[in-house]
Amino acid sequence: MKLNEKKIDMQKVLAPAALVILYVFFSVVGDGFLSMTVFKNILESSYYIGFMAFGVTFIIITGGIDLSLGTVMMCAALLGAYTFKQLHFPLIVSLLVAVLVGAVFGFLNGVMVAKLKLPPFIATLGTMMMSQGFGSIITKVQSQTWPTATEPVGGWFKKVFIRADLFGVKGFPVGVFWLIGFFVIAALILHKTKFGRYVFAIGSNEEAARLSGINVDNWKIAVYTLSGIFVGLSGIMYAAAYTTITPGTGNGQEMNGITGVVIGGTSMSGGSGTMVGTLIGVFIMSVLKTGLSNLNLQAPWQTFFTGLVVIGAVLLDIQRTKAANRVKKS
Amino acid sequence: MNKKRLFAAILSAAMMLSLAACGGGDKGGTSGSQPSGGSQPSGGSSTSQPSGGDGEKIFIPVMAKGFQHQFWQAVKQGADAAAADLGVEIYFDGPGSETEIDKQVNMVKDQMAKNPKAMALAALSTDAVKEILAECAEKNIPVIGFDSGVPDDTSGAVKATAATNNEAAAALAAEKFGEHEGLVAKMQAATSAEPVVIGCISQDAVSASVTDRTTGFVNKMAEIAEKYQPGKVSIEGHTLWEKKVADPAIIIRVEISATTEATAVQTAATSLLGTKGLAAVFCSNEGAVTGFLAAVSDGEDLAEGGRYADLVVAGFDAGAAQKNAVRQGWFYGSVTQDPYQIGYNAVEMAYKAAKGEAVSDVDTGAQWYNADNIDDEMIALLVYD
Repeated sequence: MKLNEKKIDMQKVLAPAALVILYVFFSVVGDGFLSMTVFKNILESSYYIGFMAFGVTFIIITGGIDLSLGTVMMCAALLGAYTFKQLHFPLIVSLLVAVLVGAVFGFLNGVMVAKLKLPPFIATLGTMMMSQGFGSIITKVQSQTWPTATEPVGGWFKKVFIRADLFGVKGFPVGVFWLIGFFVIAALILHKTKFGRYVFAIGSNEEAARLSGINVDNWKIAVYTLSGIFVGLSGIMYAAAYTTITPGTGNGQEMNGITGVVIGGTSMSGGSGTMVGTLIGVFIMSVLKTGLSNLNLQAPWQTFFTGLVVIGAVLLDIQRTKAANRVKKS
Repeated sequence: MNKKRLFAAILSAAMMLSLAACGGGDKGGTSGSQPSGGSQPSGGSSTSQPSGGDGEKIFIPVMAKGFQHQFWQAVKQGADAAAADLGVEIYFDGPGSETEIDKQVNMVKDQMAKNPKAMALAALSTDAVKEILAECAEKNIPVIGFDSGVPDDTSGAVKATAATNNEAAAALAAEKFGEHEGLVAKMQAATSAEPVVIGCISQDAVSASVTDRTTGFVNKMAEIAEKYQPGKVSIEGHTLWEKKVADPAIIIRVEISATTEATAVQTAATSLLGTKGLAAVFCSNEGAVTGFLAAVSDGEDLAEGGRYADLVVAGFDAGAAQKNAVRQGWFYGSVTQDPYQIGYNAVEMAYKAAKGEAVSDVDTGAQWYNADNIDDEMIALLVYD
């Protein structure tokens, strides 16, 4: 019991410490890294990854994985923009369309994993391609744009989700409210509800959960659908930050989300993890990317270092699992 | 156990940081806190001279659309040359592929944080950088577009553009098709029962340069074809260009690939090659050419005795594979822009704009090259590897 508490403490300290170290490091070495502009850049490139990561945290804790995050996010953003610009839906409806697209693909993943017993890796690999293809088919491989800040129709989109003149600050990063708001919601669901407890129970030992009367299949579908909703929201945040959505993209974005979760200390083998960890993991990546870019290291370098961080984080995960197993045996 | 974990954590953090620090040396002299060992050109960051700490240099970020194609390397050469000539400091960067709009936006934002005096930009999407352009306009940072530039900018930040007129350049290929005796004979002999198909392969219907080229080629080709088969020229394929007529004798078929990756372009090319009556193909950029060549066994099918020996093919841009296809006579010829001039002009214009001088658009030109003139001095300068 005592050891267990210590372990959790370690997890809690490691990731935030790494975040602080990175931030300080780049502030010292970088060229004007320690500035409001750069801080805003870091925030704005974190929003959509954050939402993806919140959702997939649930899935990873159940012992599953979702590879369709990135392409479903793009599909949601594409269809949202398509319904707004081409079909002239009100913007609010288009936003709901985006969330719905995410939820539908999430539900599909859930059914395939829970009812049809497909391995999550394969099922979501399938939806990864399907969502990418679907977005391209609907939009006829045309890139789609969301309204920019100065547009008369829907100009509020960016002001609500990205930047607005607020509290006397010009270009206040309002997206941070959404990120924190949904972080709190996700954390409450995971740590304070029956749903959350079942997520951990399924991840720790699926058979035991089943035998104790939990309808594992239905809860799994719910988990994947919830994650899908978060992915739909991430599509909205992506659109708010980058405006133009290109069909046929999104491959590889899922790794941003999954990496954030893993760096944040959630175990890939399921059964343990925290939402705070995920949030910090996401920021670690954004700080790293923005920092490297600040040092004028081109995109390939950023990808390279992100890869390095992933390996480091998984190594840590293995160490933790090993340690935990030893505790169990003794 | 805890110790071990802590050790692993510290080790990986140290590894990461030390690597980051090593990499930091590559950036020339912007921060000055890292004594860079050998100034290798590998990173791609460019300073005209090692910064000696004297007077403040004008800093101009040059934000390209990618590094993927050799085209951008030639643009970079031009930009570097201009930086050296003018004594300005530039930083040339672009996303890994031309669909990564988010990466480019982040990149531009990160450079904006360094308060540049001017910026050269080839935007992947104008809408995606609209707020940044507004900020530039507000802070009086002049923006110079290059290559496809920053179309439809409304902020007023974009002062001028150094670019090829893509429509006119692609129309050049259609004109050359109109001078090809074999193809003209086929167009004259075409009937509704056995229509002649002229294909156009483009890697996307998104980027302005590719779309302009497609439009330029399709319109000019239709105009030429109308001379031989009035009222019987149909434009088919992608909805953006579609202009169908009943019982056409000449069909201009626009094939757009699903993604910009070579394999996807190859798929599009294969489907076009399967079209009955295909007589000529125009590939609208280096990516389209690469995918097309992959579909014809790296060009061997176009050679004497090959499956598609009679096919008249024209490309756009250059690159090793395309140059080879032109030199071997597999291609009828290709259109090339002048990437070196694009890069050079972009930096020069940005420099002038930073100093408050007036700048205006520059057409950096296009040329037709084929097996006969590819090694001429004038052309050899334009076709990069």
